[in-house]
Amino acid sequence: MKTLGLIVSIIAGAFLMYGTIDMPDWGDPNSPASIHVSPRYITNAATETATPNIVTAVLADYRGYDTLGETVVIFTAGMACILLLRRRKDVRKARR
Amino acid sequence: MDFIIAKYNYWIYIILMMIGFYAMISKSNLIKKIIGMNIFQTAIILFFVSIAYKKGGATLPILTHADAHGEHAIQVAGYLNPLPHVLMLTAIVVSIATLGVALAIAIMMYRKYHTLEEDEILKAIK
Repeated sequence: MKTLGLIVSIIAGAFLMYGTIDMPDWGDPNSPASIHVSPRYITNAATETATPNIVTAVLADYRGYDTLGETVVIFTAGMACILLLRRRKDVRKARR
Repeated sequence: MDFIIAKYNYWIYIILMMIGFYAMISKSNLIKKIIGMNIFQTAIILFFVSIAYKKGGATLPILTHADAHGEHAIQVAGYLNPLPHVLMLTAIVVSIATLGVALAIAIMMYRKYHTLEEDEILKAIK
Protein backbone atom coordinates (compact mmCIF):
# COMPACT_ATOMS: atom_id res chain seq x y z
CA MET A 1 0.00 0.00 0.00
CA LYS A 2 2.82 2.42 0.89
CA THR A 3 4.82 1.68 -2.26
CA LEU A 4 1.64 2.00 -4.34
CA GLY A 5 1.02 5.45 -2.83
CA LEU A 6 4.62 6.46 -3.52
CA ILE A 7 4.37 5.31 -7.15
CA VAL A 8 1.06 7.15 -7.66
CA SER A 9 2.40 10.39 -6.18
CA ILE A 10 5.61 10.21 -8.24
CA ILE A 11 3.60 9.66 -11.45
CA ALA A 12 1.26 12.57 -10.61
CA GLY A 13 4.26 14.77 -9.83
CA ALA A 14 5.89 13.80 -13.13
CA PHE A 15 2.74 14.80 -15.04
CA LEU A 16 2.63 18.15 -13.21
CA MET A 17 6.35 18.71 -13.99
CA TYR A 18 5.57 18.03 -17.66
CA GLY A 19 2.81 20.64 -17.41
CA THR A 20 5.21 23.33 -16.18
CA ILE A 21 6.93 23.38 -19.60
CA ASP A 22 3.98 25.45 -20.89
CA MET A 23 3.73 27.67 -17.78
CA PRO A 24 4.94 31.30 -18.05
CA ASP A 25 8.40 32.06 -16.68
CA TRP A 26 8.75 33.12 -13.06
CA GLY A 27 8.30 36.88 -12.69
CA ASP A 28 7.38 37.49 -16.32
CA PRO A 29 5.43 40.82 -16.39
CA ASN A 30 3.63 39.74 -19.60
CA SER A 31 2.35 36.42 -18.27
CA PRO A 32 -1.37 35.74 -18.97
CA ALA A 33 -2.27 36.15 -15.29
CA SER A 34 -0.79 39.65 -15.25
CA ILE A 35 -2.20 41.10 -18.49
CA HIS A 36 -5.83 39.99 -18.51
CA VAL A 37 -7.92 41.21 -15.52
CA SER A 38 -5.52 42.67 -12.98
CA PRO A 39 -4.43 45.81 -14.98
CA ARG A 40 -7.99 47.07 -14.78
CA TYR A 41 -8.00 46.66 -11.01
CA ILE A 42 -4.60 48.34 -10.64
CA THR A 43 -5.48 51.35 -12.81
CA ASN A 44 -9.07 51.90 -11.63
CA ALA A 45 -8.96 50.91 -7.94
CA ALA A 46 -8.03 54.40 -6.70
CA THR A 47 -10.70 56.26 -8.69
CA GLU A 48 -13.48 53.71 -8.29
CA THR A 49 -13.09 52.62 -4.67
CA ALA A 50 -10.81 55.31 -3.09
CA THR A 51 -8.82 52.52 -1.38
CA PRO A 52 -5.01 52.63 -1.62
CA ASN A 53 -4.65 48.90 -0.90
CA ILE A 54 -5.70 47.17 -4.13
CA VAL A 55 -6.01 43.76 -2.44
CA THR A 56 -8.56 45.20 -0.01
CA ALA A 57 -10.40 46.95 -2.84
CA VAL A 58 -10.71 43.73 -4.84
CA LEU A 59 -11.62 41.64 -1.78
CA ALA A 60 -14.34 43.89 -0.38
CA ASP A 61 -15.53 45.95 -3.36
CA TYR A 62 -15.10 44.19 -6.71
CA ARG A 63 -15.50 40.66 -5.35
CA GLY A 64 -17.71 41.35 -2.35
CA TYR A 65 -19.96 38.40 -3.12
CA ASP A 66 -16.92 36.12 -3.01
CA THR A 67 -16.15 37.38 0.49
CA LEU A 68 -19.78 36.87 1.48
CA GLY A 69 -19.52 33.26 0.33
CA GLU A 70 -16.30 32.96 2.33
CA THR A 71 -18.11 34.00 5.49
CA VAL A 72 -20.80 31.41 4.69
CA VAL A 73 -18.02 28.79 4.47
CA ILE A 74 -16.65 29.87 7.89
CA PHE A 75 -20.15 29.82 9.38
CA THR A 76 -20.86 26.35 8.00
CA ALA A 77 -17.53 25.02 9.31
CA GLY A 78 -18.17 26.52 12.73
CA MET A 79 -21.66 25.05 12.89
CA ALA A 80 -20.32 21.64 11.79
CA CYS A 81 -17.67 21.74 14.53
CA ILE A 82 -20.25 22.69 17.16
CA LEU A 83 -22.65 19.96 16.06
CA LEU A 84 -19.88 17.33 16.01
CA LEU A 85 -18.21 18.21 19.30
CA ARG A 86 -21.32 19.03 21.36
CA ARG A 87 -21.95 16.54 24.18
CA ARG A 88 -25.67 15.90 24.35
CA LYS A 89 -27.16 15.49 27.82
CA ASP A 90 -29.55 12.66 26.95
CA VAL A 91 -26.76 10.63 25.31
CA ARG A 92 -24.59 10.98 28.41
CA LYS A 93 -27.45 9.81 30.60
CA ALA A 94 -28.08 6.83 28.32
CA ARG A 95 -24.40 5.83 28.57
CA ARG A 96 -24.58 5.76 32.35
CA MET B 1 19.99 26.79 -17.55
CA ASP B 2 17.57 29.65 -18.26
CA PHE B 3 14.80 27.07 -18.39
CA ILE B 4 15.66 25.82 -14.89
CA ILE B 5 15.83 29.37 -13.47
CA ALA B 6 12.47 30.22 -15.07
CA LYS B 7 10.59 27.17 -13.82
CA TYR B 8 12.24 25.94 -10.60
CA ASN B 9 9.66 27.63 -8.38
CA TYR B 10 6.91 25.45 -9.88
CA TRP B 11 9.02 22.32 -9.28
CA ILE B 12 9.48 23.21 -5.60
CA TYR B 13 5.72 23.56 -5.17
CA ILE B 14 5.07 20.31 -7.05
CA ILE B 15 7.49 18.45 -4.75
CA LEU B 16 5.83 19.98 -1.67
CA MET B 17 2.38 19.14 -3.05
CA MET B 18 3.36 15.52 -3.72
CA ILE B 19 4.75 15.18 -0.17
CA GLY B 20 1.31 16.22 1.09
CA PHE B 21 -0.43 13.93 -1.40
CA TYR B 22 1.70 10.94 -0.35
CA ALA B 23 0.94 11.66 3.31
CA MET B 24 -2.77 11.86 2.53
CA ILE B 25 -3.01 8.55 0.69
CA SER B 26 -0.52 6.25 2.45
CA LYS B 27 -0.27 7.30 6.11
CA SER B 28 -2.58 5.33 8.36
CA ASN B 29 -2.78 7.85 11.22
CA LEU B 30 -5.65 10.29 10.71
CA ILE B 31 -3.77 13.26 12.18
CA LYS B 32 -0.89 12.63 9.75
CA LYS B 33 -3.40 12.57 6.89
CA ILE B 34 -4.75 15.96 8.03
CA ILE B 35 -1.20 17.37 8.20
CA GLY B 36 -0.66 16.09 4.63
CA MET B 37 -3.82 17.89 3.50
CA ASN B 38 -2.50 21.11 5.03
CA ILE B 39 0.87 20.74 3.27
CA PHE B 40 -1.02 20.24 -0.03
CA GLN B 41 -3.04 23.41 0.48
CA THR B 42 0.06 25.40 1.47
CA ALA B 43 1.79 24.31 -1.74
CA ILE B 44 -1.14 25.64 -3.78
CA ILE B 45 -1.08 28.95 -1.88
CA LEU B 46 2.67 29.35 -2.54
CA PHE B 47 2.10 28.51 -6.23
CA PHE B 48 -0.51 31.25 -6.64
CA VAL B 49 1.57 33.84 -4.77
CA SER B 50 4.53 33.06 -7.04
CA ILE B 51 2.29 33.63 -10.11
CA ALA B 52 1.59 37.15 -8.80
CA TYR B 53 5.27 38.15 -8.88
CA LYS B 54 6.52 40.55 -11.58
CA LYS B 55 10.19 41.12 -12.25
CA GLY B 56 11.54 44.64 -12.75
CA GLY B 57 10.88 46.75 -9.65
CA ALA B 58 7.24 45.92 -8.96
CA THR B 59 6.09 46.75 -5.44
CA LEU B 60 3.25 45.45 -3.29
CA PRO B 61 -0.22 46.38 -4.65
CA ILE B 62 -0.65 49.38 -2.31
CA LEU B 63 -0.91 52.73 -4.07
CA THR B 64 1.58 55.28 -2.77
CA HIS B 65 0.05 58.46 -4.22
CA ALA B 66 -3.59 59.46 -4.04
CA ASP B 67 -3.20 61.73 -7.08
CA ALA B 68 -3.03 59.35 -10.03
CA HIS B 69 -2.13 61.91 -12.73
CA GLY B 70 1.01 63.40 -14.22
CA GLU B 71 4.26 61.98 -12.90
CA HIS B 72 2.39 59.80 -10.34
CA ALA B 73 0.33 58.04 -13.04
CA ILE B 74 -0.24 54.38 -12.14
CA GLN B 75 2.04 52.01 -14.08
CA VAL B 76 0.62 48.49 -14.25
CA ALA B 77 4.14 47.01 -14.32
CA GLY B 78 4.98 48.85 -11.08
CA TYR B 79 2.58 46.86 -8.89
CA LEU B 80 2.34 43.12 -8.26
CA ASN B 81 -0.71 41.29 -9.53
CA PRO B 82 -3.32 41.72 -6.74
CA LEU B 83 -5.73 39.01 -7.91
CA PRO B 84 -3.81 35.87 -6.79
CA HIS B 85 -3.29 37.51 -3.39
CA VAL B 86 -7.05 38.03 -3.01
CA LEU B 87 -7.83 34.49 -4.14
CA MET B 88 -5.31 33.04 -1.69
CA LEU B 89 -6.79 35.09 1.15
CA THR B 90 -9.99 33.18 0.41
CA ALA B 91 -8.11 29.88 0.10
CA ILE B 92 -6.46 30.36 3.52
CA VAL B 93 -9.92 30.82 5.04
CA VAL B 94 -11.21 27.68 3.31
CA SER B 95 -8.15 25.68 4.44
CA ILE B 96 -8.73 26.78 8.06
CA ALA B 97 -12.40 25.71 7.76
CA THR B 98 -11.53 22.28 6.36
CA LEU B 99 -8.81 21.82 9.02
CA GLY B 100 -11.29 22.60 11.79
CA VAL B 101 -13.96 20.21 10.51
CA ALA B 102 -11.36 17.47 9.88
CA LEU B 103 -9.98 17.78 13.42
CA ALA B 104 -13.52 17.72 14.85
CA ILE B 105 -14.26 14.50 12.94
CA ALA B 106 -10.93 13.04 14.18
CA ILE B 107 -11.91 13.86 17.77
CA MET B 108 -15.26 12.10 17.23
CA MET B 109 -13.46 9.04 15.83
CA TYR B 110 -11.15 8.98 18.84
CA ARG B 111 -14.07 9.23 21.26
CA LYS B 112 -15.87 6.33 19.59
CA TYR B 113 -13.01 3.92 18.77
CA HIS B 114 -10.24 5.13 21.19
CA THR B 115 -7.67 5.09 18.39
CA LEU B 116 -6.68 7.18 15.37
CA GLU B 117 -5.04 4.38 13.36
CA GLU B 118 -6.98 3.65 10.20
CA ASP B 119 -6.53 -0.16 10.19
CA GLU B 120 -7.63 -0.49 13.83
CA ILE B 121 -10.74 1.62 13.11
CA LEU B 122 -11.55 -0.58 10.08
CA LYS B 123 -11.14 -3.69 12.28
CA ALA B 124 -13.46 -2.18 14.91
CA ILE B 125 -16.11 -1.37 12.29
CA LYS B 126 -16.11 -4.95 10.99
